[in-house]
Amino acid sequence: MSNLDDENELIACKHCDSLARLPKLTSGESALCPCCGRTFFSRKVDPVNRTLAVSFAGLLLLVPAFSMPIIGVSVAGKYNDATLLDCIMLMINADFYIIAFCVFLFAIAIPSIRIFSAFYLSYKIKRRQFGASLLTFYRSYHLFDSWSMVHVFFLGVIVSMYKLITLDELSVGSGLISLLLLLFCSTLISITLDQRLIWELLEDELEPKS
Amino acid sequence: MSLSQKAKHLGLGSCPCCQKINKMTAEQQRCIRCHQVFSQRKQYSVQFTLAWTLAAIVMFIPANIYPMMVFYKLGRPEQSTIIEGIASFIKQGLYPIAFIIFLASFIIPLGKIIGLLILLYNTKNYSKISKRKQTQMYHLIASLGPWSMLDVFVVVVMASVVNFGFFTSIEAGIGITYFTLMVIFTIFAAESFDPRLLWDIERRKNHDR
Repeated sequence: MSNLDDENELIACKHCDSLARLPKLTSGESALCPCCGRTFFSRKVDPVNRTLAVSFAGLLLLVPAFSMPIIGVSVAGKYNDATLLDCIMLMINADFYIIAFCVFLFAIAIPSIRIFSAFYLSYKIKRRQFGASLLTFYRSYHLFDSWSMVHVFFLGVIVSMYKLITLDELSVGSGLISLLLLLFCSTLISITLDQRLIWELLEDELEPKS
Repeated sequence: MSLSQKAKHLGLGSCPCCQKINKMTAEQQRCIRCHQVFSQRKQYSVQFTLAWTLAAIVMFIPANIYPMMVFYKLGRPEQSTIIEGIASFIKQGLYPIAFIIFLASFIIPLGKIIGLLILLYNTKNYSKISKRKQTQMYHLIASLGPWSMLDVFVVVVMASVVNFGFFTSIEAGIGITYFTLMVIFTIFAAESFDPRLLWDIERRKNHDR
């Protein structure tokens, strides 16, 4: 049995709670749990710069994705299209408050918070300005991990296009393209963001070593 | 140090947010790195998961009975529940879409509920299924969560695009609210479940022998 006092050199699997010695990784590698086989953490290639670029692109896409028409149909000479915000307004007018709230939360608010937190974090780390607010932002990024539903909304739009194509004449708006690009960005952020590296950086900078 | 040693047995806890190993001094404490309050295992995990799952089962019934969508053609309403919507897709010959909707709005929620109940049972009783398999099953359940919202988004988009008053219009039905609540409850249930409980029981069994 070796010395277990130094918990900084240990890592516990969050899925099966088995302890292991913290492995040294170079960028691009992942550490796996020897007990259950899930990933402990992975080192990403050039995480800060890439996350900064992708999340900045995501921020630019937020407004067009939410306010441009997604799809439009024309029936007997009448044309009608809808943006994401229209969808929510319509649900409020039809007294489906829970649906309106959920669509707002899952398709607008939480993806925006995630992209903004990723941008703010990588910008501050790039400029090496560390503050306690970064902890809050990064925790919020973790908290909403399973609640961002841009991908599901996008598939929903595709399915309804299939449904409407038999009905009427259909047109694709610029909102759908921005939504697709936004989806790309939010997926890329989860690929490029090195979660462990950021925590280690924050730990080193925020707390003076005793 | 043997590899199968669990953090809990050494008085250590790993932060669920940043994975930092903390020495546990109290039942609940703040992580020294990210200041998140946590405990060694998610507190009252089994109770919360069971409660959310039961709530989801209750919501599953009205979600399937009440109409999801009302289709007005020349003023005449045509209501359709989830199953009727899938049937109309099959009638139109859109088999892949029918399959996706069937999967996302019927099989996945039902599978999640049943799967969570099985996992809950296995936290109390030793099961022959390997722990690895069970952990994988939990991850499948957790990652499929958001996809059940697909049908809700489809109805919302259709209702806002097809809006021509008397001529043709689509409106959402009451069932959609129950369906959304069911999906949210199953996500909460999956979030409050702690997969480490599955591994704890194996240790207890080994001690008994």
